[in-house]
Amino acid sequence: MTTALATTNTKASQAGVDLLRIVRINEEIKSVVAVAFKINIMALNAIFLAKRAGTAARGFGVLSNELRVFSQDLRDCMASLTGLIHGCVTEVSLVLQDIRHTRLLRQAVALSSVPRMAAVLAEREMENDRHTQRLVSLRKQLKRALEDAFQMVELGGVLAKSAKIEAAYGQSFALPLAQVSGEFDSIVEEIRTSLESLRRSAFFTGN
Amino acid sequence: MKTTKTIFQDGNHKWVAIVRDPEKPNYLIDTNEYLVTHGEQGILLDPGGAEVFPAVFSALSSEFDPSALAAIFASHQDPDICSSLALWLEFNPKMRCYVSWLWASFIPHFGGTADTFITIPDEGTDISLAGLILRAVPAHYLHSSGNFNLYDKVAKVLFSGDVGAALLPPGEDGLFVENFDTHIRYAEGFHKRWMGSNEAKRRWCERVAQMDIDMLCPQHGAIYQGADVQRFINWFDELQVGIVSA
Repeated sequence: MTTALATTNTKASQAGVDLLRIVRINEEIKSVVAVAFKINIMALNAIFLAKRAGTAARGFGVLSNELRVFSQDLRDCMASLTGLIHGCVTEVSLVLQDIRHTRLLRQAVALSSVPRMAAVLAEREMENDRHTQRLVSLRKQLKRALEDAFQMVELGGVLAKSAKIEAAYGQSFALPLAQVSGEFDSIVEEIRTSLESLRRSAFFTGN
Repeated sequence: MKTTKTIFQDGNHKWVAIVRDPEKPNYLIDTNEYLVTHGEQGILLDPGGAEVFPAVFSALSSEFDPSALAAIFASHQDPDICSSLALWLEFNPKMRCYVSWLWASFIPHFGGTADTFITIPDEGTDISLAGLILRAVPAHYLHSSGNFNLYDKVAKVLFSGDVGAALLPPGEDGLFVENFDTHIRYAEGFHKRWMGSNEAKRRWCERVAQMDIDMLCPQHGAIYQGADVQRFINWFDELQVGIVSA
C-alpha cells in the first residue's frame, strides 16, 4: 500500500469515527434538552406550591423562578450546541467526500500525464485543508459552548441546593417543598453527569 | 487502465471506445465509455461511475485533450452512467451535461449546479459538436423512464446505452460481437429483467430500424456492427421483456 493511500484510509477511518462521536454527542444533547424541559414544568409547579405556602416559602419561590429561567437558558444553550453539532456533521461529511474525491483524483494523476490534473489535485487538497480547518474551528467552538453549558449547570446545582435549604423553612409545607427541591437537585445532577461525559468525548480529546 | 479503440474516424471526426480495464475490481460492473470528437471539441458519452474515473480519465487523455471536452451525454441517471460527474466538473467546471429533463434535479446529487445541465425534452434534441449534429434519440423505459440514445448520422453510429448490453464472461469480452448467437445469450437475461416495457421496446425497434446504422454501441458488453445491428433489432423486437420469475 502506498503512503498516500494509507494516509487516505486513516483519514477516512478517522472521519467515520468522528461522525459516530458527533452522533453520540447529539443524542446526549437531546436527552439534556428533554430534562431541561422537565425542570421548567417542575419549577412552575414549585412556584405555585411556594405561593400556597405563603411567606414561609418566599425564598423557595424566588429560587423556583430562577430555576425556571435556568431551564430556559439551558435549552437556549443546548440549541446553540445543536447548531454547532449540525455544522460539525456537515464538515465531517464534506471531509469524507473530499477523501474519496482526492483518492480518485490522485489515481488519475498517477495514471495520466495531463499537467492540469496535478493542478486540480492541488486545488482539491487546498479545499480539503479548508474543510479540515473549519472542522477544527467548529470543534473548538463546540468545546467552548460545552464549557459554558457546564458553568450554567454548576449555577443550577447551587440553585437546587439553595432550594433544598429554603425548603426546610417551609413550616407545614416543608415536606412537599423538600421533595420538590430534592427532585431539582437530582435532575441537575443528571444533567451535570451528561455534560461531564460530553466533555470527556474523544471528539474533543482526539483519542 | 482502460484501453481506447477508435471505432470510426473521418479526419478529426472520431468515435473512440474506452473499454476493458483489467485492473477493475469484479464487484463493479464493467462499462464502456465513448468519446466523440469533431473539430477541436469532444463529448463523452456515459462517463461512468466515480470509481472508474481515474481509468477513464487517463485512457481518454491518452487520445484527446480532456480540457477540450465540451460536454457529457448521460443516457440516464444510474450511478454507473454518471456518478463521476463531480470529478469531471472538478477538472473542467465549464463542462455541460446533457440529460433527460426527468433527471435534471436528480443527477445534481452526483455533482454540478443549475448551470451544468442541458435538459433534453422527451422527443429528443439535436446536439451540436463543433458543427457536427448528434441526435438524442428517445429510448424511454429502456430501461430508465427518461432515457436517450445518441445517433451520429455521419458516422452511422448509434450509442444505445443499456440497449444491446451484455454481461460478458471473462475470456469472451471482445470489443465487437463476433458470433451473434453466442453473444446474445449474455444479453438475454439482462434485457428481460432491465427493460420494463414491451410497448417502449417495440417503438424503439421501429424507430431505429429506419435509421442507417453501421455500429450499435452499448454501455456494457460488445459493439454490434454490420448485419448484427439489424439482427439485434429483430431479436429485441421478438423478446418479451419486463419479466422476473419471483
